[in-house]
Amino acid sequence: MIRRLILIPFLFLAAFPALAAMTIEIVGGAANRIPVAILPFGVSGVEAVNPALVVASDLGRSGYFKLVEEGGAVSPAEPAGLVLATWKGKGADAVVMGQVLPAAGGKVEVRFWLFDAVRQTQLAALAYTTTPGGVRAVAHKIADLVHEKLLGEPGSYSGRIAYILKRNGRYELQVADADTQNAITVAASAEPLISPAWSPDGQRLAYVSFEDKKPVVYVQNLADGSRRAVARFRGSNSAPAWSPDGKRLAVTLSKDETSQIYLLNLDTGEATRFTRGGALDTEPVFSPDGRWLYFTSDRGGTPQIYKASLPEGQVSRVTFEGSYNVSPALSPDGKTLAFVHRRDGRFHVAAMDLANGQMQVLTDTTFDESPSFAANGRMLLYATLVNGRGVLATVSVDGRVRQRLSQSGDLREPAWEP
Amino acid sequence: MKSTPIAPLTALLLALLVTGCAQTPSQEASIEDRAAKATDPVAAEKAAAEKAAAEAAAQAAKSASAEVGNTAGATPADPGKVTTQALAAPEAEVKTLGGSGPVVLGPDGKPLPSGAAAGGAGAAAAGPILDPKNPASPLIQRRILFDYDSAAIRDEYRSLLEAHAQYLKQTKDAKAILQGHADERGSREYNLALGQRRSESVYKALNLLGVPDAQIEAVSLGEEKPVAEGHDEDAWKQNRRAEILYQGE
Repeated sequence: MIRRLILIPFLFLAAFPALAAMTIEIVGGAANRIPVAILPFGVSGVEAVNPALVVASDLGRSGYFKLVEEGGAVSPAEPAGLVLATWKGKGADAVVMGQVLPAAGGKVEVRFWLFDAVRQTQLAALAYTTTPGGVRAVAHKIADLVHEKLLGEPGSYSGRIAYILKRNGRYELQVADADTQNAITVAASAEPLISPAWSPDGQRLAYVSFEDKKPVVYVQNLADGSRRAVARFRGSNSAPAWSPDGKRLAVTLSKDETSQIYLLNLDTGEATRFTRGGALDTEPVFSPDGRWLYFTSDRGGTPQIYKASLPEGQVSRVTFEGSYNVSPALSPDGKTLAFVHRRDGRFHVAAMDLANGQMQVLTDTTFDESPSFAANGRMLLYATLVNGRGVLATVSVDGRVRQRLSQSGDLREPAWEP
Repeated sequence: MKSTPIAPLTALLLALLVTGCAQTPSQEASIEDRAAKATDPVAAEKAAAEKAAAEAAAQAAKSASAEVGNTAGATPADPGKVTTQALAAPEAEVKTLGGSGPVVLGPDGKPLPSGAAAGGAGAAAAGPILDPKNPASPLIQRRILFDYDSAAIRDEYRSLLEAHAQYLKQTKDAKAILQGHADERGSREYNLALGQRRSESVYKALNLLGVPDAQIEAVSLGEEKPVAEGHDEDAWKQNRRAEILYQGE
């Protein structure tokens, strides 16, 4: 079992240099951050990003760690060359070191070690073989592992995110690393794109495109860029959500009555109506066990979140506090509901413990939208407005650690890969 | 038009709409599904090439397989302008859809070329000019504004809707897409549904005035297409609206 390190008083506060082109602002943070020294990896005979930069960026912005100035030191070739007492003396509770070496077939080997500087023990030692271009992805995995070894729960640095970027009057669906690096535009249009949703296997994205003067739901295969319209019925087609087995989409259609939720079989194209009544029903999302469909409805007079049993469709109301609760998202364990809650005219990300119905507002920003859980269930990604521009931000489910991910352009509707 | 003899009847019908919950049709063909036709040979050739590339890609990716046909005859390569890119091998640069298909809407968004006959001018009888392209016609007015959190049609739009209904009834081959919009506050998908409710109000009004289902379609663009870009009530009240677009516009 991994235990949280005993925190010792440290004298040297971290002052870590800016690492990436992207600006990260940490708003708030954990009460006790663990001081970690991340030594630049030795990189020889290989053209690749230094994994230490990526690991330090990930851990540094998480709010859980304090980076200890490495003072120009570099990783020794082997752990034997590392004097842990020195790092303990500089205030580090843990030390990360590593090497990037050429491997057979043009590949590279990334070796890394994690040490407990207080107890002078080794916590992890691993070697990854990858392509030079894959070093960044490996570095995110290393950050995940360091996070888990030191905090006892998984990190959320290695997943990908999808979001919509509006720039130069065009709409781009982008997929990027969780730190918004390595962004690739997978679809671009002069007309709006909204509501990206990852398939459970991470290989497809469903989204809504307005290229046909009305909303139509598309599914795109990420490997080859091919896509098809899966819901192009009369009226509006929107709000795609994947079933846990990836075989169905819940969608909002207006073909029969005002916006209602349908279950769409992706093999046959058949859409089966799921909700009924003249009220507006939208934003469906499956519970991870596939037994419930959560959705937004104004059937009670104001928009609130409801859940319906699958397949019967027995409906019960989930949110009661306030007059505007929308955009439900479920944690991977199905125990926590995140949503957008309006309070005093401001839109905040809130989370509810589904076991006891306790709701907590997590953010202090004003125009929050589209909360999405990280695969580890510990962090939420959402979009908000800062100075009139859409930015992405994350917040821990307890609301204590917040950060903003900035990138040029106007970003909205982020979705974390499951 | 305010003096049209059917006005009292339509007033009654419109009043019924405030709480409106009339049926909307379940026909599955979009009236816009034939919108983008390649008229420019260069664009057509390019679209064809891209379609071929898309088909090759689809062939390679067996999983993508059969097109799910919600709309008869619609192909993914049909409406232009969206490009996609493969994620695994970016240099392959698979473009699924035509990158430069013909723009359906006029370049300024207000398509008014007098030459393009849409079939409306034929039945010009006495009374108001019923031609959506004629600036002197009441049909040039396409925008209907709504109150906050409301899909009820205000009295001031009665004569406007009557004129459009009259035109559609006498021009059987004319089709209109009714686009609902919402202001920017709150969830995009919820706003899409709110906009849908507004376009459905217009739909029901036209329907009750005798316009057949086959000639109109109610859709929503949510908060995605504001006419006013500000972040205050002045902008929001302009953006809570429905727009009537005739086919080919």
